[in-house]
Amino acid sequence: MARSKLKTMLDNEKGRNIKLEKQRRHEKEVRKRKEQKKAAENGTSDAEGGVPLDEVEKKVAEKSNGMAKKGKANGVKAAAPVEEPEWETDDSEDEDASDDDDDMEERPALDLSHLDDSESDVSGDDEEDEEVQETLGAAGDDEEEEDEKEQAEDDIALSDIESLADEDKADIIPHQRLTINNTAALTAALNRIKLPYSKLAFSEYMSLTSDEDVDIPDVDDDLNRELAFYKQSLSAVKDARGLLKKEGAPFSRPADYFAEMVKSDEHMGKIKQKLIDEAAGKKAAAEARKQRDLKKFGKQVQVAKLQERAKEKRDTLDKINQLKRKRSGADVTKTNEEDLFDIELDKSDKPDRREGGSGSFKRQKKNEKFGFGGKKRHAKSNDAVSSADSRGFSHKKMKGKAGGAAKRPGKSRRMKTK
Amino acid sequence: MAAVYKTLSATSGNEKESGERKNRQRVLILSSRGVTYRHRHLLQDLYSLMPHSRKEAKLDTKTKLHQLNELAELYNCNNVLFFEARKGQDLYAWMSKAPNGPTVKMHLQNLHTMEELNFIGNCLKGSRPVLSFDAAFEKQAHTRLIKELLTQIFGVPKTSRKVKPFVDHVMGFTLAGGKIWVRVYQINESEPGKKKPVDGEEMDVDSAPKKKGKTEFDVQLVEIGPRFVLTPIVIQESSFGGPIIYENKEFVSPNQIRADLRRAKGAKYNVRTEAIKDSKIRRGELGLTSHGGRKKEKDPLSDSVLFA
Repeated sequence: MARSKLKTMLDNEKGRNIKLEKQRRHEKEVRKRKEQKKAAENGTSDAEGGVPLDEVEKKVAEKSNGMAKKGKANGVKAAAPVEEPEWETDDSEDEDASDDDDDMEERPALDLSHLDDSESDVSGDDEEDEEVQETLGAAGDDEEEEDEKEQAEDDIALSDIESLADEDKADIIPHQRLTINNTAALTAALNRIKLPYSKLAFSEYMSLTSDEDVDIPDVDDDLNRELAFYKQSLSAVKDARGLLKKEGAPFSRPADYFAEMVKSDEHMGKIKQKLIDEAAGKKAAAEARKQRDLKKFGKQVQVAKLQERAKEKRDTLDKINQLKRKRSGADVTKTNEEDLFDIELDKSDKPDRREGGSGSFKRQKKNEKFGFGGKKRHAKSNDAVSSADSRGFSHKKMKGKAGGAAKRPGKSRRMKTK
Repeated sequence: MAAVYKTLSATSGNEKESGERKNRQRVLILSSRGVTYRHRHLLQDLYSLMPHSRKEAKLDTKTKLHQLNELAELYNCNNVLFFEARKGQDLYAWMSKAPNGPTVKMHLQNLHTMEELNFIGNCLKGSRPVLSFDAAFEKQAHTRLIKELLTQIFGVPKTSRKVKPFVDHVMGFTLAGGKIWVRVYQINESEPGKKKPVDGEEMDVDSAPKKKGKTEFDVQLVEIGPRFVLTPIVIQESSFGGPIIYENKEFVSPNQIRADLRRAKGAKYNVRTEAIKDSKIRRGELGLTSHGGRKKEKDPLSDSVLFA
């Protein structure tokens, strides 16, 4: 519905376009001439689009003195104090300034009283805003004779363009909707409601402005943003504290002053519970992690222990073997005194006697074969370990030596070879 | 004793008044119909933070906002803070100086109420806040106006009825990215290793210079909540009416954003249906759908027949 309305409005506007453009061209020329004149006069021209605040204030003050003149100043001529600005458009932010017409955009000059007649309904809807602007434009037409700078609003807002179909988009040059920024009226309104700060004590209003802008490079960076807010408030609190103390106003709450709080005890209890729960959760998580680590580590410890045990066993076996060898080859090593001493320590009487008795290699072998000391029974019978031991097993051997059988020649051949 | 003190202080106050003007503010807080629970909780939070405010029942209409002026007059309020909910999700905050002051309409976003934020900060109900503003507020005319409005609405006047005499919280307003960010902190004072000065107000008066020297006071802030962000949309010259004297062109309405998202989603479907149509036509041209100029008869065992 908004679109159709817009389109009709567009069509209406298109009828007047030629005239408007002519007018614009004329305006441009006039302005250029004026500018040149002014440049010659002042040598300075404000490059900035907007009007500096203090200047506006000055003008407002002038106006209140009864010097209300009808006229207008646009952004280009802002520096010229000749005319009294009533309305102006802040087009310094216009993105499409390269467009030839756009830097010349301006709003019709109107009296505030005039504007009051065009009772605008502000509801934020696009179409209605358009209508308001339209009425303003129409009102401006009345004054066209007396004021050259009149111009109707025939731009299409960028936001409205997006709602049009693609094929329509092609032949429309997008213009951004002009921001209404009536600095004079804003300043007037501000002066109307402003508290007389100079006359009031600080303790009456307790409002502070930071010394410099709060610099927030990225508003999506939560941590830094909140830090900037915090710093701003903190500095304000410190200043306010000093000022209030100077005025003798009470600042800090005494410890024994109890009163109803913004957050009820119930609410605070809830928050406390939440904090406790959070802490408990964290603790539990830490515990679980520790347990997990321990488990992982415990396995390593176990492995290490097993390895150590195996190593110990190996070592002892080695030692035993060494000792055995030493005993067997006692004659060879007896030259070494230390070894001698060692063996002497280890040696009991018995082996010595035995060694001395036979001491031969033959005896050793026999002992190995038939056993020496201890139980003789069942020594050669299988037990669980030996039967599970499959080291000596080979399935090839189980197949019955085919190759071996083939190697044996036949009887006749054997006979022959004999 | 207390009576004596009261009379004494009253006389001194009167003396002051003769020379100085008083700051009298009363705020009417209300919402439109169709607010969600979060909006309602925000309203409640603000109400508890502003002892000079008066809460009203929900306003029935969203178009005849000038009725608010009469309501404000009825309750002797010179400020109106009106929350307008749209579509049960968007919240707009109107701030106005009631009889004929300017009106600012703002979009309220990123709303987090005290209840859901779980901040450990707390303050006295009815204590007066320090208002802290960003220096950027002073740069433009409309932000200056907004700053003044915020000061008058959120600043608790000294003479308010339910006010408590201490300052234990601060409200921060910061301009960032064309939006006003609002935070509320508790002021937590702690003296490092010294006894806390628990002297009365009278003591404070004469010991003021001594206090100033003592700067080693540790001031910390603990956030209380709520949090929200305001985007100025429009400023009107009179209260809920009158000409528009400022309009924010950068503001995109949440409706528009949602519509764009939906359209982007819909575009996918359009592309798909287009592709299906194209392939159908292509197949037709290749003669895959017809047999000798005649249309192929339906397969009696096709899925569409069997499971029709």
